[in-house]
Amino acid sequence: MSEPHLTEPLWRAIAVYRVASLGYALALVATIDRHDYSRLDWAWAVLAAMAVWTAVSTVGYTRPERRAVPLLTADLLVSAGLLLSTWGLQFPADLHRGVMPVTATWVAGPVLAWAVRYGWQAGLPAALVLSGCDFALRGGAAGTISVTLDGAVLMVLAGVIVGYLARLAAAVERERQHAIEVEAASRERERLARDIHDSVLQVLALVQRRGAEIGGEAAELGRLAGRQEAALRALVGGSGQAVLTGPVLTGAVDIRSLLATEASEHVTLSAPADAVLLKKEEAAELTSAVRAALANVRRHCGAQALAWVLIEDEPEAVTVTVRDDGPGFPDGRLAEAAAAGRLGVSHAIVGRLRDLGGSATIRSAPGEGTEVELRVPRAR
Amino acid sequence: MVVDDHPMWRDAVARDLAEAGYEVVATASDGAQALRLTGAARPDVVVLDLQLPDMSGVDVTRGLRAADPAVRVLVLSASGEQQDVLDAVKAGAAGYLVKSAARPEFLDAVRRTADGDAVFTPGLAGLVLGEFRRLAAAPVAAGQQAPRLTERETEILRMVATGVPYKQIASRLSLSHRTVQNHVQNTLTKLHLHNRVELVRYAIEHGLTDET
Repeated sequence: MSEPHLTEPLWRAIAVYRVASLGYALALVATIDRHDYSRLDWAWAVLAAMAVWTAVSTVGYTRPERRAVPLLTADLLVSAGLLLSTWGLQFPADLHRGVMPVTATWVAGPVLAWAVRYGWQAGLPAALVLSGCDFALRGGAAGTISVTLDGAVLMVLAGVIVGYLARLAAAVERERQHAIEVEAASRERERLARDIHDSVLQVLALVQRRGAEIGGEAAELGRLAGRQEAALRALVGGSGQAVLTGPVLTGAVDIRSLLATEASEHVTLSAPADAVLLKKEEAAELTSAVRAALANVRRHCGAQALAWVLIEDEPEAVTVTVRDDGPGFPDGRLAEAAAAGRLGVSHAIVGRLRDLGGSATIRSAPGEGTEVELRVPRAR
Repeated sequence: MVVDDHPMWRDAVARDLAEAGYEVVATASDGAQALRLTGAARPDVVVLDLQLPDMSGVDVTRGLRAADPAVRVLVLSASGEQQDVLDAVKAGAAGYLVKSAARPEFLDAVRRTADGDAVFTPGLAGLVLGEFRRLAAAPVAAGQQAPRLTERETEILRMVATGVPYKQIASRLSLSHRTVQNHVQNTLTKLHLHNRVELVRYAIEHGLTDET
């Protein structure tokens, strides 16, 4: 059921609560309500019993295996018993006047314990049991019912809320544990896959080589193998990037894995060896801008055009440069085209980057291809 | 020397090299064999597959360079530029090429390696750039200095990483082809030196603790 290590702080809190409320009850008897008790020595006996039981239960609950029905039930019974035992202590009249029983707030201990261990479904009944005892004790006389009711309501609230939160925390911890296990398993799979990929890639490359040497039909087979080799290598290159758990929890994303899908036999991706982290939204916007730039290349330079995507990671900013080996155009033309409104796509790219607080620069020269430099600053 | 665990590859590469006029002094099918043979064979250039069954290509590179600091290692990898290619370059490799490169490209790479030039792919340039940036941003140990790229070197690496041919780099920056190659080679040398210093420092630290 609940994972011990997550609920440890809660059990410690319960122990602190018990001791504190014991202290409170002691203070009450010692100072405030002396004259309310017909049998003062009995009050001290009850307090002694409370002290003993506080020690026993706190020690008992330190071991996770002992946080089970036997101890919890004993806890509940002892508290209820001690509460009811104060019947003979106080002047019957005073009890009905709404004077707090000797046990005071200490009786809430088992309610919290049941709630943390088994959720609100257990905290609620425990609270009701003790509230019932309290009602039985203090009676339902008109003047005092609101006081007793207050106590009962608070105990029920405590039982339900603490119970619900304890279960919630346990569920979150379980899911996180599961996610970590899935992560480890997938990383292992990727490692194995890498070996297989390498073998396949090697053989495809060999076929391409030998096919070219032999010539004829074999050469055509070789070319087919070569294309598949490039495609598979581009795919493997992307999945070879490490998948991190940290960023998943902090909402940051590795832009390399997002851009890896763009790699192909025509598009070469160059990136640092470590993850390049950006906020999810920034990464998504940047990826769209890169895709738009690549689509632009295909549109203006043809489907066979080659392009390179370089990812750079600096402390101040992340820069992605897209360069193609197309014909390029003189600087002036860019401004003209913008003026003539023909740069719809480029506009979108520049606009996207500006929205991110970054910049997009387009550089070109005849015969030297076109470079689009996308820069996203880092908020540090 | 050709080191590759796939017999067909080994033979194909050895054959291509022999046909191009190189002398293949040894072939090895795993890292241990390569390190054993290198002493006797004394190759000038080693063509090394990163995926070996017994040792990582990175460790083999280190071993080869330790045995003979003058040897030039060209690493080949089937699956493209990833962390292990960067590690091999840091350990002393002179360049990298993907296994599926065409024969002319491969022979050109071997020639350049033999001539003492670095062989870079755009992907490797991206990795090297990233490595220098990482070193610049990482906390520096006392008495240590992170290796730095000059602005010129950074500019050139960025152009290599975006696929600009060396000739175009040279004309754009008004430099000679030779100067561009030297700059690229320098970046590798800086990495090698830094790696070597790091290894020595590591060895000293741990050697001392063993003695006490």
